[in-house]
Amino acid sequence: MRAVPLRVLAALAFVGLAPMALAAQQGTTVSGVVTGTASEPLPAVNVAIPSLGVGGVTNDAGRYTFVVPAARATGTHTLTARRIGLQAKSVQITLGPAAITQNFVLAAAISQLEGVVVTALGQTREKSTLGTAQQQLSNVELNQTHAQNVMQQIQGKVSSVQITGAGTQGGSTNIIIRGANSISGNNQPLFVVDGIPVSNYNRGGGLISGYDYGNAISDLNPDDIQTMTVLKGPNAAALYGSRAANGVVVITTKHGAATGGKVRTEINTSLNFDSPSRLWDFQNQYGQGASGQFAYVNGAGAGVNDGADQSWGPRLDGRTTGCVFTAGAITSKTHPLTVPATAYDQTKPCLQFTGSGQPWVAHPDNVESFFRTGKTLTSTVAVSGGNETSNARLSLGTDQIEGYVPDNSFAKVTGMLTGALKVGEHLSTNATLQYLRNSATNRPGTGYSNSTLEQFFWFGRQIDMGALRDYQQGGAVNNGPATREYNWNYNYHNNPFWLAGQNPVSDSRDRFVGSLSATYQIMDWLNATARTGSDIFRFGVDQRYAPGNLVNADPKYNGAFRFFNDYSNENNSDLLVTADRNLSERIHLLATVGGATRRTNFRSDTARTSGISVAGIYNVANAAVTPTLGQYIQRKATNSVYGSAAFTLNNWWTVEGTARNDWSSTLPAGQNSYFYPSVNTSIVLTDAVPALRSNALTYAKLRGSIARVGNDADPYQLQTTYAGVSQKFAGLPQFSLGNVLANAELKPEITQSGEAGLELGFFNGRASLDASYYDKATRNQIFNITVSPTTGFTNKAINAGKISNKGIEALFTVTPVQLSNSFNWTTSFNFARNRSKVEDLYPGISTIVLGQGIFAEVRVEARKGLPYGTIYGQGFDHDSATGLVLTDGGIPVVSTDFKVLGNIQPTWTGGWNNTFTYKNWNFGALLDIRRGGQIVSETNAVGEYSGVLKSSLRGREIDWNNPGYVVHGIDVNTGQPNDVAVTSETFFQATFPAIEPYIYDDSYVKLREVRIGVDLPTRWANKLNAESMSIALTGRNLHTWTNVPNIDPEFTYSSGNFQGIEYAIPSNPRTIGFNVRITP
Amino acid sequence: MINRKQWAVATVVAVALGATACNNDKLTGYNENPNSATSAPAPALFTNAVRTGVSRWLGTTYDLRGTEWVTQHLAEVQYPDEDAYKRLQASFTAGTFDGAYSGEQEDFQKVIDAGTATNNPLVYAPALVMRTWGFGYLTDTWGDIPYFQALAGDSVGSTLSPTYDPQKAIYDDFFKVLDKASKDLAAAPTSGLVGLGSADPIYAGSRAGWERFSNSLRARQAMRLVNVDPATAKTQFEAAVAAPGGLFRSNADNATFKWPGDGVYDNPWATNFKTRDDHRLSNRLTANMVPQGDPRISVYGMPAESDGQYRGLENALTQGQASAFLTTTSRPGAIFYPGATTYGTFGGGGAALPQYLMTYAEVELLLAEAAERGWNVGGGSAASHYLAGINASMDQWGVPNDAARAAYLAKPEIAYKGGSAGLTQIAIQKWIALYGDGGQAWAEWRRTCQPANVVPGPEAIINIVPRRFQYSTTETAVNAEGIAPALTAQGPDLFQTRMYWDKSPQNAPTYPGPSCGVKP
Repeated sequence: MRAVPLRVLAALAFVGLAPMALAAQQGTTVSGVVTGTASEPLPAVNVAIPSLGVGGVTNDAGRYTFVVPAARATGTHTLTARRIGLQAKSVQITLGPAAITQNFVLAAAISQLEGVVVTALGQTREKSTLGTAQQQLSNVELNQTHAQNVMQQIQGKVSSVQITGAGTQGGSTNIIIRGANSISGNNQPLFVVDGIPVSNYNRGGGLISGYDYGNAISDLNPDDIQTMTVLKGPNAAALYGSRAANGVVVITTKHGAATGGKVRTEINTSLNFDSPSRLWDFQNQYGQGASGQFAYVNGAGAGVNDGADQSWGPRLDGRTTGCVFTAGAITSKTHPLTVPATAYDQTKPCLQFTGSGQPWVAHPDNVESFFRTGKTLTSTVAVSGGNETSNARLSLGTDQIEGYVPDNSFAKVTGMLTGALKVGEHLSTNATLQYLRNSATNRPGTGYSNSTLEQFFWFGRQIDMGALRDYQQGGAVNNGPATREYNWNYNYHNNPFWLAGQNPVSDSRDRFVGSLSATYQIMDWLNATARTGSDIFRFGVDQRYAPGNLVNADPKYNGAFRFFNDYSNENNSDLLVTADRNLSERIHLLATVGGATRRTNFRSDTARTSGISVAGIYNVANAAVTPTLGQYIQRKATNSVYGSAAFTLNNWWTVEGTARNDWSSTLPAGQNSYFYPSVNTSIVLTDAVPALRSNALTYAKLRGSIARVGNDADPYQLQTTYAGVSQKFAGLPQFSLGNVLANAELKPEITQSGEAGLELGFFNGRASLDASYYDKATRNQIFNITVSPTTGFTNKAINAGKISNKGIEALFTVTPVQLSNSFNWTTSFNFARNRSKVEDLYPGISTIVLGQGIFAEVRVEARKGLPYGTIYGQGFDHDSATGLVLTDGGIPVVSTDFKVLGNIQPTWTGGWNNTFTYKNWNFGALLDIRRGGQIVSETNAVGEYSGVLKSSLRGREIDWNNPGYVVHGIDVNTGQPNDVAVTSETFFQATFPAIEPYIYDDSYVKLREVRIGVDLPTRWANKLNAESMSIALTGRNLHTWTNVPNIDPEFTYSSGNFQGIEYAIPSNPRTIGFNVRITP
Repeated sequence: MINRKQWAVATVVAVALGATACNNDKLTGYNENPNSATSAPAPALFTNAVRTGVSRWLGTTYDLRGTEWVTQHLAEVQYPDEDAYKRLQASFTAGTFDGAYSGEQEDFQKVIDAGTATNNPLVYAPALVMRTWGFGYLTDTWGDIPYFQALAGDSVGSTLSPTYDPQKAIYDDFFKVLDKASKDLAAAPTSGLVGLGSADPIYAGSRAGWERFSNSLRARQAMRLVNVDPATAKTQFEAAVAAPGGLFRSNADNATFKWPGDGVYDNPWATNFKTRDDHRLSNRLTANMVPQGDPRISVYGMPAESDGQYRGLENALTQGQASAFLTTTSRPGAIFYPGATTYGTFGGGGAALPQYLMTYAEVELLLAEAAERGWNVGGGSAASHYLAGINASMDQWGVPNDAARAAYLAKPEIAYKGGSAGLTQIAIQKWIALYGDGGQAWAEWRRTCQPANVVPGPEAIINIVPRRFQYSTTETAVNAEGIAPALTAQGPDLFQTRMYWDKSPQNAPTYPGPSCGVKP
């Protein structure tokens, strides 16, 4: 095989057109038909003679034709037919004056070892010539099922790519490729769409409070994506510069093609139903209250424990009287252990928030029934077409989503127009414009202070959820404040339905992504491309708090609000010159030199107030309390030059070098220039040593690469500044010195990476293995260390530290069954194991805190000598001899010091994908596997403290008065095994907030995707100017196997570096739906 | 095949690439921070730092939900975790310690630097007093703390791991600093210097105000050493009395912080009470006020909802036990409430209720103690200062000077007794007067062990009232090296460890012995 001609991404639409233009002279005509294995005609296949730079592209009938200029129509050449997703084929043809007819039959690419892939800078290359690891997904592989964020659709499909879904619908998706490189900088990959970097801006939620507004990559419409290639490390991505250290996701969109003027139609529509994939296991034996008694009076403490939002009340045995003790039966000194059973006063009715005299019974579904069935209706309609000089594609897509949390909904609209025009003989142009609008209403809040679900872990298990729906009857109905909504508790909580329905929060992002490019064919083998593209969006949040909102509205006023508006504009422009020619019969050169500029401009304006004057007018002019105003501007610029050269010898040995130099605005003058090179090589052993090839081993390739990538700092870290306070104090201006010590000496940070890979094909493509080993380290990291606050500063920006990541990753694909009756079973397994280590921090600094738990009882850290993401928290003291917990008075002794309790990084991750096809039926199932690593669940900690979880029954299930919970431990006073019994109420409340029991092994297997589909007769599709039509039943997250109790072990609040601690987050949706797809 | 036009294109491309690479000088302009300034006016720093400092030491975390439980002015009626000292452990109090240094203390230092650079005591002296006021809470809460190497992170050659200095050395420096502040203020030229003016939210730039606050603060810190170093205590106390400007002479001299009450800057108690109903008077407080007929009780607390009686709550019960007392015990007084709350309407003016950094009442009670010890207080007897202290406190809280007050003052247990009994009376009065300043009340209680009924509640996690807080978890994580000398000199980092000045009294007249504050 020849190295293929190189095209820049923006010119992809011309893959066939450009050579055709060059061939517009008299000469030898080469033509033929390309069909698939089922004899169906294949359009858009590129058929070319790479050595001559001429070729054509097939039309809808699969026919291609081109002319070789007479001057060059001599000798024997390789004619190659290829299209993404298909196995390329080549034949030798001898050119002469006579016309040549050559047909091809192309099979679908079973393995990913061979064929054309899109790689850095949008180059399409034969995979055999690549010396670096990357994995490409086709549109079909990507769109097996539908998720709200396109990145979740590749979960489990690409090795070494760890994707964590938010839980909260529409929330953030965290993506880490080959482990985290940066201690406190960005660890998310760079996204490039058609050659233009696009923003994956994130406004995440928090563990304490907030809303998770998700990340911006979810704006993309998966149906517009032709291929998605993951460049896994600095090696493959070195040419992308600073932001490539974490890998690059290269997306090429669908384009129009020469269809002879015919319109082609594609439609993809699905209807999905969502529900929480996991629910909590609540106890249903004891109701609200404390120390065994409860009586509602006003829900704020006037009754017996009715202000207390926990479930340590009387047994839910249907009693209608006797929920409180006889007056005088207890005193403040009475311990629950000594309460006699006769203490309950049988003359008193059991009072509840819904009224008196109702039986004291559990409502086992009282949390589950809060949720509704979510619905997602998604559709994309696209039309495309073109002729030999121009083509276009227009697509429109919408997602209409009703969340499974009441009153929560999302809407997404995408429009994309792509056009290409050949202007004259040498110049071709391309333009893309996308409009994206992504909006949501009433996202549930996250975290401890304002999340919608938070109160279910401070709850009465007897509460009738249905009764809470009618919140409009007002608080006075059950003795609560008249100004409040009707609720079960007036102390700590708002009614969950009222929160969802009466505190509207809406957000929307309006976004334009556009690009223009022009390619000039200077010579047959040399072209120049100029390209500019911008990603511009506004993201706004309008949040209104009704009067009575406990956390956010001052009860003195008529409600409150918070607004913010972000504006982001990133422009990337580049100019690159590409040479692609045979230097001799045996050596091929592919070389690029280019220059690029990037300018980013971000601005955020915020306004909030805790009180408004006139109800219902959420406007700063109506603020009763002077609003807090915020304004933040961030600008950044980088300039770059880069180049690469790949030499391929005899089609089997490629050596490629790349080099790039960046100049960044964020580093001090004199230190803001940084250079980084890379080199890689690829050897196809089965071509180099044909004797290796056998029936069993049909393909073998070795590759290796060494690369370096530099990175700059975030803006404004060079000088310590004073910040003003927008709200004057009694009319006086206020300033305060910032808490971060600046550093005028910052240097660029450097990631160094080596990788080696092996690609093997067996039994003529029936089985393949693609495996890599990598070893990378990032040093001179720019991050803020925590310094002793007694310096007057909490942090200092420094260059220090080193994180290393070593790992292996493999993709193994087999087609175990391939029967003549068309039954086919393909299975693939991907595996990745990464070993991270914080090699070094700053002298004297042993840890960097990435984030901490709600009660500051646990932290996630980068701790020296340990993998990134150490869980460090408060545990129990243990007996040195037996390892058992030390107890005092029957209760574990809580350590005063923190200790290492785990690490958030998995031991390995993998995916197992199976596809079965039989005639026009197909069935696919994907398991997504995570093994090892730990998480912290504060839901479980709080849920046991408050007695709502089933696990809190231990120690009180026998009888309230004879609790049987004896901690298995050593009594610190006697040195003997503990024999003191305590109530579970005492146990959980006395040990809180020691987090040790709430660290869990975060291993899980998820049945991530299932698809059962059938292809409908082609003639139906043909009526719609399309080629095929299919319907399918699909499911996502259908089952989770895990030992983590109660919660979804997969969760995130943001795509930031603080991960691994959970509280009251909804679980990732389980989705079941139908899909209809019409493809051209 | 290559024509001239094609070469021209190639040339343009090459030139453009070169231009990209070379035009990098302008890049740094992009990095000029448009959001915040590289310098700030000292008055604006001062205003913010005072507000931050008051919010810290008289605010929610340290005072209302911290030391007010520890000193048992108040008791916790819902989820009494702080009251049991559980949520006062290192991780919960770290923010107070960390924030004080990196927040207002550093800003006061910048004001001192700016004032010193322009040789302007009207700027640096108030900042010196405020910095010392803050350091007083820091050292009296934690003991040995970074002092001499602190607040210098941005100075050339400074350490990022300041050493913990012995409390004795810190106190010695307090006296020097406060001496300098009041003397420099007194010596400053009466014209030509521009002071803080209205940016000073406490005295509006009045130099006499700052002189008296400086001296009064010096007297407070001097008296604190009386059990460990009575000679220094006496010397410094007498020096404070004799310093230019003297001590506070009336409530008009109080270091008063007026909250605007505009919804943005509200009294922190009122802000907390808006949504939280966790606070009840402690039965320790009511035991020292109700039987004696102290008229301040109707200001400090509200009658219990159930029967209109002033009734305190036992500290540190279980949640179940405590919440049973929700309606039968007294909430804090109506003056602290903002009106509408999420659980009912109480009071109304709480948002704008001023707070006091130091009061005339405290000064009079300090003078009473000093006089009882035979020190030179510049006139007046222990009894007369004691009486003036109680009256000042009543006036400050707006208690009318009527028959009820007279009857209270005439009660045998209130009328001044002199000697050790007198010291006990002074200490109890000061503890009552310091309602709203839990940090000072707790420090004075540790020094005097009065009132003696302050003992841990039933569910307290240790059986002794804390003598200090545990060091910040941030510090133990990043500055273990700096802490090491403190652990050696002061003792283990526990609630029980006593700091330098926290010694059992040796010299008569004296207070009860060291076993005070132990769970019965």
